[in-house]
Amino acid sequence: MGGLLPTPPEVDLTMPGARTLRGLLATLAVALVVSGCGGGASSGGTASADGGVRLADVEVAQDPRAITGPSTAVVADAEIHPVEENPTPQLPATVTDVQGTTVTVSDTSRILALDMYGTTARIVYELGLGDSVVGRDRSSEFAEIVDKPLVTTNGHELSAEAILELAPTVIVTDTSLGPWDVVLQMRDAGVPVVVVDSERSVQGTADLIQQVADALGVSDVGTRLAERTTAAIEAKIAEIAQVAPQNPADRLRVTFLYLRGQAGVYYLFGGGSGADSLIEAVGAVDIAGEIGWDGMKPVTDEGLIKAAPDVVIVMTKGLESVGGVDGLLEQLPAVASTPAGKNRRVVDMDDTEVLAFGSQTPDVLDALAVALYAPARS
Amino acid sequence: MSLTSPRSDVPTTSDAAPTGTASTDTAPPRPADAPTTPGPVRTALRGATVRTAAPVVAPRDEARRGRVVALFVVLALALVALTLLAAGTGQLRIPPAEVLGSVLRRLGIDAGAQATHPSTDAALWTIRFPRVAMAMLVGAALATGGALMQGVFGNPLADPGVVGVSSGAAVGACTVIVFGWTFAGSWTVALLAFAAGLATTMLVYLTAREDGRTQVVTLVLTGVAVNAVAGAAIAFLTFLGDTQAREQIVFWQLGSLNGTRWPYVAVVAPVVLLGILGARATARQLDLLALGERPARHLGVDVERLRVVCIVLVALLTAGAVAFCGVIGFVGLVVPHLVRMLVGPGHRVLVPASALGGAVLLLGADLVARTAVAYADLPIGMLTALCGGPFFFWLIRRTRRSAGGWA
Amino acid sequence: MSALRARGIRVRYGTTTVVDGVDLEVRPGEVLALLGPNGAGKSTLLGVLAGDVTPDEGTVELDGVDVRTLRLADLARRRAVLLQENRLSFPFDVVDVVRMGRAPWRGTEREDDDDAVVDAVMATADVTHLATRRYPTLSGGEKARASFARTLAQEPAVLLLDEPTAALDIRHQEALLAEAVRWARDGAAVVVVLHDLTLAAAYCDRVVLLAEGVVRGDGAPHDVLTGELLTDVYRHPIEVVRRPGSDELVVLPVRAAALEEIR
Repeated sequence: MGGLLPTPPEVDLTMPGARTLRGLLATLAVALVVSGCGGGASSGGTASADGGVRLADVEVAQDPRAITGPSTAVVADAEIHPVEENPTPQLPATVTDVQGTTVTVSDTSRILALDMYGTTARIVYELGLGDSVVGRDRSSEFAEIVDKPLVTTNGHELSAEAILELAPTVIVTDTSLGPWDVVLQMRDAGVPVVVVDSERSVQGTADLIQQVADALGVSDVGTRLAERTTAAIEAKIAEIAQVAPQNPADRLRVTFLYLRGQAGVYYLFGGGSGADSLIEAVGAVDIAGEIGWDGMKPVTDEGLIKAAPDVVIVMTKGLESVGGVDGLLEQLPAVASTPAGKNRRVVDMDDTEVLAFGSQTPDVLDALAVALYAPARS
Repeated sequence: MSLTSPRSDVPTTSDAAPTGTASTDTAPPRPADAPTTPGPVRTALRGATVRTAAPVVAPRDEARRGRVVALFVVLALALVALTLLAAGTGQLRIPPAEVLGSVLRRLGIDAGAQATHPSTDAALWTIRFPRVAMAMLVGAALATGGALMQGVFGNPLADPGVVGVSSGAAVGACTVIVFGWTFAGSWTVALLAFAAGLATTMLVYLTAREDGRTQVVTLVLTGVAVNAVAGAAIAFLTFLGDTQAREQIVFWQLGSLNGTRWPYVAVVAPVVLLGILGARATARQLDLLALGERPARHLGVDVERLRVVCIVLVALLTAGAVAFCGVIGFVGLVVPHLVRMLVGPGHRVLVPASALGGAVLLLGADLVARTAVAYADLPIGMLTALCGGPFFFWLIRRTRRSAGGWA
Repeated sequence: MSALRARGIRVRYGTTTVVDGVDLEVRPGEVLALLGPNGAGKSTLLGVLAGDVTPDEGTVELDGVDVRTLRLADLARRRAVLLQENRLSFPFDVVDVVRMGRAPWRGTEREDDDDAVVDAVMATADVTHLATRRYPTLSGGEKARASFARTLAQEPAVLLLDEPTAALDIRHQEALLAEAVRWARDGAAVVVVLHDLTLAAAYCDRVVLLAEGVVRGDGAPHDVLTGELLTDVYRHPIEVVRRPGSDELVVLPVRAAALEEIR
């Protein structure tokens, strides 16, 4: 996830005389962000990871705790499988979005689905309306969309001009991407904007799918997709439950760490971030929940050591930015003192997939399960 | 000891016959509140000295007027040119002809060039024009606030931030960002930033007051203290916030005109215009204040009241500017100084020229912010700090070096 | 009827009484010198007369009107004050500085005469040739003269001057005081704080000698400026002689013995 490097705490940048210094530091920071967050390209990113092995095809280790070494969770099949090809939307569609605004959508020929996790875009494709999608956000990098123009700048910031350049006829978004004023500007410009839920979880996936489908006038296609996804998720959870240790005491203690760069930006993802839901679904213990961690906050060394995770899940690009597993253990000695650190059990997964949820959830769960329980083959 | 009579005959108050006069002499009827100045006092001026006195004022004023007019014309042209340029530049390129065409269409005249892209009108009227308008307003507000502050403190290095308005506004904004308040919808941040900025200024002023008087030095030092406390508050809020909040805080502190909409312009415009008009009204008194507090009082200026009025105006202007766009610094320092260098320190010209100059400067800076790096929107406060910082250093060195003070 | 009258003025700063029961009166047409050693209370008294300092006791009347009841704008039209320090925060031109003296007349008919008045007073103060110079670039003496011009531009009925000759050379000292006398002759009342006793004796109609906040002498120069009184007040041997061939007083410190000792 894009972010700005926070100012180092040692320098007091509040005194009036240090304004220039702050300005200079800010230049540096912004320059780093702009260069590091891929603020240049308007299209053509690298497609998300694909082609991993399925849980059903691997042999599960006897004692997951005894596994050592890092592994990468790769989705077996990242391809879009739409429920229906090119459905005909029932238009005009009038919906009350999650903020209570009544929006009427009368044209779905040019769609933009934007959010921090890339969920909504994928849902639109799975609803069979992929051909109408005209642009993408930074978190959408699956093969079918990756060549479409980017409408975010400076990381995850929406660009009003980029959006208008694509002349969309409907925008589906949640409140995770800002600035909010840009969304309002789109409404000012006469483009219908439907706001969907911004919370992500395994259980909330069906609801989200339905919201997106309703907004685009393909409600029954949405219902079918939601049902298909729910069924697949439940089946997958059951499958993983077979494979995971039966005794709760033997279950893997897992936590999700957000890493970025060398400046010490590390966050623990807890309640409500989606990570908790994910970890529980793969039959592991969400230790952030155990220590009452809410939201996404910077990790404290003591907290991490006390929680003693067996496995740490991270995003792939985040891991790269700290210099791989070695870099991580060096920069975060607290991790090195945990069982996860001692066994070098770091599982990384594609940034655009791991917390996306949505219709890809079963595949993500599968890939994670493989990485957790049968990594020798991944 | 007795009082002796004066050496020669002194005409008493009522004989007021002016003797051999220069052409400008008239015996003015006395207005009700005029003191009983003996007429002959004026006679001294009608005497030989007037007839031989070389006219100095009139020719100098002529020369000065020429430069002032030139400056205003240049600034106005620059503003128009930049507006056309800024409206047409961005990810969606709109040639000036189409910009004009769109404006004409809005006015009901279907004469200009047609739009070539379906989103041209939308881009112009929902993104570009509001942003251009806001840039002009904010630039004018900051520059005028700077001119006022410098006049009140009698120091060309004074900056509106000294009275704590910027850091107070920042505390207000950061509080909303961190705690996610939305009681006023999308206006919440601006509302609280504005209120907090004003409150902080009042706090600084009241704290620095003693016996109904404020010393300039005390005011500055109190401002420094308050700025420090505000800084600590912001640091604490930064610590409390989550990732998203921190990003928002940082970008708010760096300033940005991204996301400007007409309703925001509609709020800022009257505040800024009020502030500028108010500033213009104090112009003459600020000139007199340059002589010093006591001499200004001797010339009829209520210094304390002037100070209060100016501080209120500065708070209004700066808070209004900062509330929606975050902290943008150095404009109030750079623009008035450049204007002074070109047309002198007289405030009747300085205030409107600074307003215009500030509008041009910020419009230009925003254009650079939007276009310097492809697909990126640089924070504008960062740009102004980048240029303003070195200028500040140069200004300090220059004023220290020059013999007579701030020339 | 006096142009300026102060009665029973007492000013205290903390526990020190700086001005202790002073009565002072100036009539139109008079030039009054306020003399005394350092710390005598002259500048404070001048501040009281100007209306800047509110005395703890006593009243000041300008043309019979209590100064405290007058608005600042009205005060500005009746009296002008020239202080010792001549600072300027911004680089105004000299002519603009002089023009500031016209400020109290804005909005009245007198405003029409602004240009003529400014031209005239600048000629009087011999600063016409400095008109377009920046004030901060002037020498101390030139600044003093320009400020004097500004004071005159106010066309005051009462003129209060605090050591106006301090920075001036002989020629300009004489010119300034001569001008003050000329103004008095035309009806103004002038109060001048001076250190140069000879200068005071030459140009002033009356002299008030202040020491430790109290009036030690008030009258014509010939009457007040005597060797014994001055020696007592200034705590230094002083001799008052007449200039050969005229009636002018010359006040001189007695220094022969002291010089002997040093050499």
